Amino acid sequence: MSGKSLRKPDKPFYFNTSEHLLRIGREKAATLSELSKALQTCPDDSIFQHTFRTLQEHHFIRQGFSNDFAHWSLSSCNEPVLAEHLASVDVREFTTIGDLRRSIVDIVERFLQNHPGSITHHGHAPFYFCASDIVVLPTPFVADSLHGFLDGLNHVGIHSIHHHFIEARLRLKRMSNDFSHWLEKELGLSAAADSIEGIDIYTNTMEEVRQQIACIVAQVSN
Amino acid sequence: MKSIEERATPKSSIPASKSAETAGTVTSGGTSRPLPARVLTPPAPAPLPHMEDYHSIIGQAEVNALRFLAHEVKGKTVKMINSTAVGGGVAEMLQRLVPLLSELGVPTHWDVITGGKEFFEVTKAFHNALHGANYNLTKAAQETFLRYNEQNRKRLHFEEDMVVIHDPQPLALVCSHDQSHAKWVWRCHIDLSNPNPQVWEFLRPFIEQYDATIFSSQSFARQLPLPQYLFYPGIDPLSEKNKELPASLIQKICDEFGIDRSRPIVTQVSRFDRLKDPVGVVQAYKLARKSVDFQLVLAGGGASDDPEGAAVLEEVKKEAGNDPDIIILDLPPWCALEINAIQRSSTVIVQKSLKEGFGLTVTEALWKSKPTIAGAVGGIPNQIINKLTGVLVHSVEGCASQIHYLLTHPEFAHTLGANGHEHVKENFLITTGLKRWLLLTRLLAKSK
Repeated sequence: MSGKSLRKPDKPFYFNTSEHLLRIGREKAATLSELSKALQTCPDDSIFQHTFRTLQEHHFIRQGFSNDFAHWSLSSCNEPVLAEHLASVDVREFTTIGDLRRSIVDIVERFLQNHPGSITHHGHAPFYFCASDIVVLPTPFVADSLHGFLDGLNHVGIHSIHHHFIEARLRLKRMSNDFSHWLEKELGLSAAADSIEGIDIYTNTMEEVRQQIACIVAQVSN
Repeated sequence: MKSIEERATPKSSIPASKSAETAGTVTSGGTSRPLPARVLTPPAPAPLPHMEDYHSIIGQAEVNALRFLAHEVKGKTVKMINSTAVGGGVAEMLQRLVPLLSELGVPTHWDVITGGKEFFEVTKAFHNALHGANYNLTKAAQETFLRYNEQNRKRLHFEEDMVVIHDPQPLALVCSHDQSHAKWVWRCHIDLSNPNPQVWEFLRPFIEQYDATIFSSQSFARQLPLPQYLFYPGIDPLSEKNKELPASLIQKICDEFGIDRSRPIVTQVSRFDRLKDPVGVVQAYKLARKSVDFQLVLAGGGASDDPEGAAVLEEVKKEAGNDPDIIILDLPPWCALEINAIQRSSTVIVQKSLKEGFGLTVTEALWKSKPTIAGAVGGIPNQIINKLTGVLVHSVEGCASQIHYLLTHPEFAHTLGANGHEHVKENFLITTGLKRWLLLTRLLAKSK
C-alpha cells in the first residue's frame, strides 16, 4: 500500500512519555522462600517495577537481562535453573499485573517444590522490593499522518518508545501496543501493525526497537 | 543572605596551594618523586554549566521532559539545608543542583547550619555510629545536638514549599514542620542499614515527622512509616572530573606521571584507605601479571593530610616493591582533571572496595565507557550488573582473573564499557537527579 492511498486518521497519535520516581517498598526477601511470600503480598506497582519498568531502566542491554527477579535468582542466589525459568517470562504476554504476578509466583513455587534444599538458601544480598510513582508527560510530537508518525517516532526519547510499545498493553488490556493499535485502527495498516507487534524486545535494545518500527513504517509509506 | 551564585562557588572552597614536599608524590619502581609543578597549585574554579550545556549529552527529548516537569512546578520554591558549604559530596552536589533547579524556574535556596566544635564532634560521632560504630550516647551529646538545632531553627526561615534537610546534622529542624506550610523531606546520604541502636532510637522520632525520606540505595534504608524514595547519587558530565578531554591533554598528563600509553593500563582511583583495598589491588596485579602484560596505576589522595592514609600509602608502596610497572600517585584534592585523564587513558578500571557508599568512582569509570571491575559492596551493585555493565568480584583472585579476562577479550570489554556508559546516562547523571527532584516537588505539591 502506498502512502498516497492511506486514509486520513480520525484521531491523531499523541506521543507521550512517562517518568518514574522510584520508591523503596516495605517487602524484602533474603531467601527464595521469602521472595515467594513477598511476591504474593507486594503491591501491583512493585511487580510492574521489577518487570516492565526495569526493562526501561536497562533499555540499552541487548541480551541477558529480562527482569529483576531472574537477575537476583542468579546473581545473589546462584540458582541458574530458577533464573532461566523467570527470565523466560515475557511481559508482553500479559495484559494485567495480576496475571503476570501469578505466573512469576507459580514459577518460584514450582521450583521450591522441586528443590526443597533451596527454600532457606540465603542470597548474597537481599531482594528489596521497589515501586514507582509514574507521571505521564506529553511530548511536542502529534501525528496526523504516517509521515508525521514517522517523524515523531524518530524524534521522541526512548522512554516514549517504552511507554507506547511495552507499557501500553496494561493500558489497552489487549495483546498489542499503542503504535500497532493506531496504525491498524486509524490507517487500516494491519500487516504493519502485526509486524511491529512481533518485534522482540529481549534481544534488541530499545533504540533498535525504534529503528525496526521506523523501518516497517517507512516501507509502508514509500 | 548570599545569592545562589555566590553560594554555588564559595571562595573558601579554593584550597591553598601546597609545597612540593606536602602535595603528594609519584612512586614507581620503588622510588618516589615530587608531583609535576603544574599540579601543586589549585586551578581556578570552572564556571558552572547551564541547562543548555547538557543538550548535546542527554538529547532534546530529555531536555523537553525536564522543562515540562519544571513548568508543572513553576513557582514552587525549595530550600536545601546541610551542614557545610564546602568539602564533601553533599556540598559538591548542591553547588551544581541548586543553580540548575533555579534556572528551570524552581527557585531554590541553600542554607548551611552553624555550629560550634562541640556540635560537629557530636554529629561526627553520630555519623560513625549510624554506620554501625560503637558509641555510648550521653545525655550531654543529646543536649548539644538539640541545642544547636534549636539555635538554627530560630535563625532560619522555612517559607518555601519544600524543605530538604540533608543528613542527620540538621535533622531536628523538622520541629518547625507544623509552623510552616512546607513539605519536609529528609535526604539521607549515609548507609543506615546497621545503625547504632541508641543513636537510631534518639533520631528516629525526628525522622518520623518528615513527609518523605530519600536514600541513595535500597540497602541503606530502614523500615519507616513514611514514603522512602530512591535517589541515586549522580555525576556531572561537564565537571572537570568527567568532561571530554583533548587527546593531547590526556597524553601530556600521562607523560608527566610516567604512564606508558602504548601498553595496557589498569587503574584504581581512590583514597589510600584500607576499605578501598589498594593492597589487594596490587596483589591482584601480581597474580594477573603472570599471564598478561600491563601497568597498574593507583591514583588517590588523602595521604598527606591523614595519618591513616599515609600509613596505607606506605603499605601499598611496600607491597608494590621495586616493580616499575606499578605507578602510585598521591595527588592533592584539586587534581580532578588529572584523574579524568588517567581514567580516560585506562584500558580497565578497578574499584576493589571492601566497603563502599555509593561508589561514585565507579560511576565515573562507567561514564567514560571503561570496562570496570568492582567489589560487590554498598551501592556498586546498583551500577554494575554483573557481566552486563561491568564485573563484580569478591576476592583478590577474582579481581586478578577478571583483569586477565578483560585484557584478553577486548570485544567483551568494549561491550561492558558501552553498556556501562548507557547505564550512567540513564540513571546516574546530575540531570537524572534533577528530574527526580522535579518529580518529587510535583508529587509533594499535589499531596495533602
